[in-house]
Amino acid sequence: MQEKNKVNKSYQFFDYLRKKRISNALIIAFFVVYTLITLFPIYALFIRSFVGTKLSTELWLTPPPLEEASMEYQWGNLSVFYNIDSNKVKADLGIPADAYIQARWTLERIATEYNIPEQRIKDYFTPYSVYSGWIILFSDNQFLPALFRTILITGLSLFGLNLLSTLTGFGLAGLKRRDQVFVFNLYLLSAVIPLMMILLPQYMIVQGLLKLIPGYEVSDSSIRNISQIVAIILLHIKGGALGTMIYTGYISTIPRELEEASEIDGASRFQYFFYVVLPLLKVPMATLSVMVLPSLWNDFMGPYIYLDTNNTTILPLIQSYTGTYTTNFQVTYTGIFISIIPLIIVYILFRNWFIQGAMSGAVKG
Amino acid sequence: MMILERRLGGRRATQRILTDWVFILPQLILFFSLTILPFAIGLPTMFTDRLSFVDTDVEYVGLDNFTKVFTEPGIKDEFFPALQRTVRFTLLNYAMVFVFGLTLALLMYEVGFKGGFFTVIYLPMMLSGLAIGFIATMLFSRSTGTLNLLLLDLGLIDKSIDIKSASGISFILPLLTGWRFAGFNMAIFLAGLLSIPTETIEASIVDGASYFQRLIRIYFPQMIPSFIIATIFCLIGSFNIFDELVALGALYGNQDASFLSIVFFTYGFQRGRLAVGLTMALELGIPLLIMGVLLQRIQRRFEYDA
Repeated sequence: MQEKNKVNKSYQFFDYLRKKRISNALIIAFFVVYTLITLFPIYALFIRSFVGTKLSTELWLTPPPLEEASMEYQWGNLSVFYNIDSNKVKADLGIPADAYIQARWTLERIATEYNIPEQRIKDYFTPYSVYSGWIILFSDNQFLPALFRTILITGLSLFGLNLLSTLTGFGLAGLKRRDQVFVFNLYLLSAVIPLMMILLPQYMIVQGLLKLIPGYEVSDSSIRNISQIVAIILLHIKGGALGTMIYTGYISTIPRELEEASEIDGASRFQYFFYVVLPLLKVPMATLSVMVLPSLWNDFMGPYIYLDTNNTTILPLIQSYTGTYTTNFQVTYTGIFISIIPLIIVYILFRNWFIQGAMSGAVKG
Repeated sequence: MMILERRLGGRRATQRILTDWVFILPQLILFFSLTILPFAIGLPTMFTDRLSFVDTDVEYVGLDNFTKVFTEPGIKDEFFPALQRTVRFTLLNYAMVFVFGLTLALLMYEVGFKGGFFTVIYLPMMLSGLAIGFIATMLFSRSTGTLNLLLLDLGLIDKSIDIKSASGISFILPLLTGWRFAGFNMAIFLAGLLSIPTETIEASIVDGASYFQRLIRIYFPQMIPSFIIATIFCLIGSFNIFDELVALGALYGNQDASFLSIVFFTYGFQRGRLAVGLTMALELGIPLLIMGVLLQRIQRRFEYDA
């Protein structure tokens, strides 16, 4: 009886393995399909950065071909289709800046009016049929400074957050005393506080503090711009559940012997921190950095609320391209595409760190 | 001698506490003034008629703001539809946690960890909320949406989906949010699955348990901490959703994208009804906060048990 049961069981196991081979192949096929579906929106965004308003009602899965500009095009239609900035065109083609060009004028009329060779006008407008989003963004003198500010804020926030969280983790390590546990729980609480709840009072406090800075009220002064950026960075590095948990947990695992040895050698707590603990923290630094990097780079609300429009980062700038009545979507899609590229490159380069971070963060919550 | 030692020990302990606090304070000061203090300021403001950030004539009005949210026509008519939209979004978004995250985790657990697939599935986490909103517009805009045009060409739909309509937003937004957080939730569930001792799973296979039985009896009960973590993140995230809605034109009068976060925001920043906006935010935020704290407690208890 028992023998028979054993045979039965091993049969069941082999049967399971046989079925599993088939099901695994199906699962892999599913993952391949899901992967393609996941990549599709990002690919579509890339393609749409080349599709102008005129062509956007057709389906494009590859960039549309360049269309040679016709001399019959009317000035008004051009600015609607290609979102052309008339001041830039005038400067580029050598038309006086104060010249008034009527919307109904064709390119031919402009050519004769201002004595410009037809070929030059054609060559000038042809790239707009496909690349107008890219041309407009990179000729917008706000775009590159905004990109620079985004990189600056992200970099400094990452540095500051790691620095302050290390200190916090070192101060809390072990969670042996009641005050340490209290502070730790306070940071944990921040994981469940809905941002919307504190957004308005937070704004009141930050504005109150900013007004104390002499010269802040002068619009577009460097003091104003710098202090706004500092405010954003402070909001990013104020600390929270993630950094505190990662560093407190990691520093607690450093062997006590190291601390005792440094104490016997006569090192102070500060020397122990700088010369012994800090060099050991490469792993938690990498983990925290990759976990907060997307939220720092992609922060929209902070810059939207606190930064002036001439001092803003890339996302609020892109958002400002779309208003109620504009159809400036090609520029918007191009801008969004450019805004995600740096982060995706970093992600692909450090993908193993990102995956490790995701898995370890998932355990800690 | 002993007394002296003890006193020295006492002094050293005090010194230790002080140095610890030197390390704790820099971030704690920031954390206190930018997270805890806003609470302390927000609570009393609810009982006043403060209109804006620079209002100088602030008076105490008791519980007026609370009743206003539910009774005053202009406010009520915005609050309840927004509440309805937010709740519907939260429920659908919560369903997506399982449709995407749990399904992908269970499938990946069966075939073993695959770094390449993981990398791609996690990729949308790099997108901003604003990008999600604009991608939604790009894919599902009524006449220019890429996916609309593709599905029409393939004959899978005969009328294009409109992201700017009420039903468009309420279904597409959770779908795209689920897609965005698929990798994140998958990691949470996969970590839970990988923490299950393999002996129990092997034993159940040898005993001839079907996959479904394994799921109910072995996987899910041991993944409860993962479920709780995913629930906390989803609830807080759904309540905070803002950037996506801005991209969909919520601040430019797209009523269908007017979720609670947008209503709080416009009341506080644009319309000069600061106290009412705060009251709304706290009325919903506090129950959510309590729920979050409770869930966090339960989750930690599970972790200590394990």
